[in-house]
Amino acid sequence: MTIRITAAAALALLMVVSGAAPAGAAEKTLTIGLLGPLSGAAASYGVELQRGAEMKTDEINKAGGLKIGGDVYKLKLVAYDQKAQAAEAATATNKLVFQDKTKYIIGNAVGATCNAAQTITEPNKVLFAFVCWGTSNLAPDKPYSFRSMLSQWELAEPFYRWVKETHPNIKRVAAISPNDTSGKDTNTAVVKALKSLGFEVAGDEYYERGTKDFYPILTKVLAQKPDMIDVAAAPAGEAGLILKQALELGFKGAKGWTAGTNPFTIISVAGREAAEGVWSPANINVKSEHVNSAVRKFGEAYEKRYGEVPGVIAVANYAAFDVFAQAMQRAGSVDTERVLDVLTKERFETVWGPLVIGGKETYGIDRQFLYPLVISEVRGGQVVDLAQVLPAALKKK
Amino acid sequence: MSTQLLIQSAMNGFGLAVVYILVALGLTLIFSILGIINFAHGEFYMLGGFATYYAFGVFGLHYVLALLLAVLAVGGAGVLAERLVFRRLRGKTLNGFIVSLGLLWVLQASAQLGFGVLDKAVPSAVGGVLRVGSVVISSERLLVIVSGVVLIAALYVFLTFTRAGRAMRAVAQDADAAALQGVNIEAVSALGFGVGCGLAGAAGALLAPIFAVSPTMGALPVVKAFIIIIVGGMGSLPGAVIGGLLLGAVEGIGTLFMSSAAVSMLGFLVVIAVLLVRPRGLFGVA
Repeated sequence: MTIRITAAAALALLMVVSGAAPAGAAEKTLTIGLLGPLSGAAASYGVELQRGAEMKTDEINKAGGLKIGGDVYKLKLVAYDQKAQAAEAATATNKLVFQDKTKYIIGNAVGATCNAAQTITEPNKVLFAFVCWGTSNLAPDKPYSFRSMLSQWELAEPFYRWVKETHPNIKRVAAISPNDTSGKDTNTAVVKALKSLGFEVAGDEYYERGTKDFYPILTKVLAQKPDMIDVAAAPAGEAGLILKQALELGFKGAKGWTAGTNPFTIISVAGREAAEGVWSPANINVKSEHVNSAVRKFGEAYEKRYGEVPGVIAVANYAAFDVFAQAMQRAGSVDTERVLDVLTKERFETVWGPLVIGGKETYGIDRQFLYPLVISEVRGGQVVDLAQVLPAALKKK
Repeated sequence: MSTQLLIQSAMNGFGLAVVYILVALGLTLIFSILGIINFAHGEFYMLGGFATYYAFGVFGLHYVLALLLAVLAVGGAGVLAERLVFRRLRGKTLNGFIVSLGLLWVLQASAQLGFGVLDKAVPSAVGGVLRVGSVVISSERLLVIVSGVVLIAALYVFLTFTRAGRAMRAVAQDADAAALQGVNIEAVSALGFGVGCGLAGAAGALLAPIFAVSPTMGALPVVKAFIIIIVGGMGSLPGAVIGGLLLGAVEGIGTLFMSSAAVSMLGFLVVIAVLLVRPRGLFGVA
């Protein structure tokens, strides 16, 4: 009898200590996967993805979990480093799907790695949200895939239209990107926009990821006398080096960064002088008075926690987590078919404001998150908003 | 194509070559003395970069002092690696190869945990650019080239005219015969490993202000260094210098005529061609 009472008391104590919930809603764990380049030259993307996801996961768990149907789910985030390589991404996705048994992967970057991951997520009906910029990442035969950030196809045309209207002296533009799917697709979108708007293409150049010395490629580009260099899909570290070395070689023209997801990061690598004047259409300036209070609040919490200003990738992945969580709650289930049904039919309130999912005219299927883009400029070591523009797909909505 | 563009490209190539040579010389020195192909050599280059980042960028020491500290610290790390790991593997090429791969991952993962994964910018040590006509070179790069050439010359003097250097060459030629002549093989091995790693550390330290530093920064230079020592001949110091100049020229000038992917491929095509025609490399001994 004494033993039984002691055991019961120990169990009760254990429940108090571990914070176990009383009977009622059954508490379960929902594993959410995340892929990303968490090391290497593109690590800035992966780190932001992970931090955005961590912020939302902790927010949900601190609020007691995610109530879906009759159950309460605590979220468990499992992240793997795919090193910006397709083969690594396939291995990591296999681990997430078959070892960790996740049905949701929220977060990935670098186009080729998304293609590799989709060979596993699509046949296994795993819902997959990413910020990859490959054209082929969204397609009618990939119904479980969503892009949570504007890509080159939404950004390049309105960005260069703005350049043409505000800086008519810029005639010749050279684009430099990494030699992979993201880079090729981005340069293709930039070149297409340039040609359609009447610019001359002064360079359509590629470099191998990991390159540090851009003198050879810049010597070739600068010989074509561009008025503007776009470090299109280069990640922050490499984009910074390109701009720094271009300045050393005497380039004084305009600078763009079509995929410039966080201009704050380029300042630290390129230095203030080389980064001065860089335009970016992909970024969101969380400190701007023009963004809504939800984004500003997220930015403040992020900076307090990580000591850095979040870029658009962190915001996008935070928003993607939010959208998927809302969709699960509305579906009353974690079954991906039912959640997909909600995702494609309903609208969601997020840090972006009311979120629109579109893109059918470009990709043949509505799987692209749409929101207004802000063109910003690096000025005196700060990021200043210049204009807010609607992507063509959003205008139609 | 203008002459000035060619000169600029050749200059770019020479700048690349000096760095490649520093890394390759250390790699080939270690191979010639211990018979070990050190895949972790790029991580010693990375350690040199981070030593400079902390000494110069964070703690604000004078750049020259930071460079010296970086070389000594990485050289010391090399001696430690030889004592703890590679000494027992001397002459066992396959075992050494596998262990060095393990060391690569350990050092890289440790760096990611310790230093973080993002690129870290190191302030410029010297500012400004030098212009001759339309040919441009930054003062930072000029400093790297001059320092690199001085280090290569210093290594030559050390190996040719000092007792320790001659002992290293003797061990490289025939360890048993050197031992019979009273050369302390263990001390020479440790010194050789230390000098080899110190050279990689010097390259990393010199390039830190130009390229920024990150835990994976050693991956590309070590691949280039392997191309160089295979072309130049495994264990041959003059081979490493000529191989480095050749690769620098191919990359510097080649980029003018073809894409960067094609240029990268060209380096490996040169390796294949040399291995087919002269398997021991340009300066290697059979």
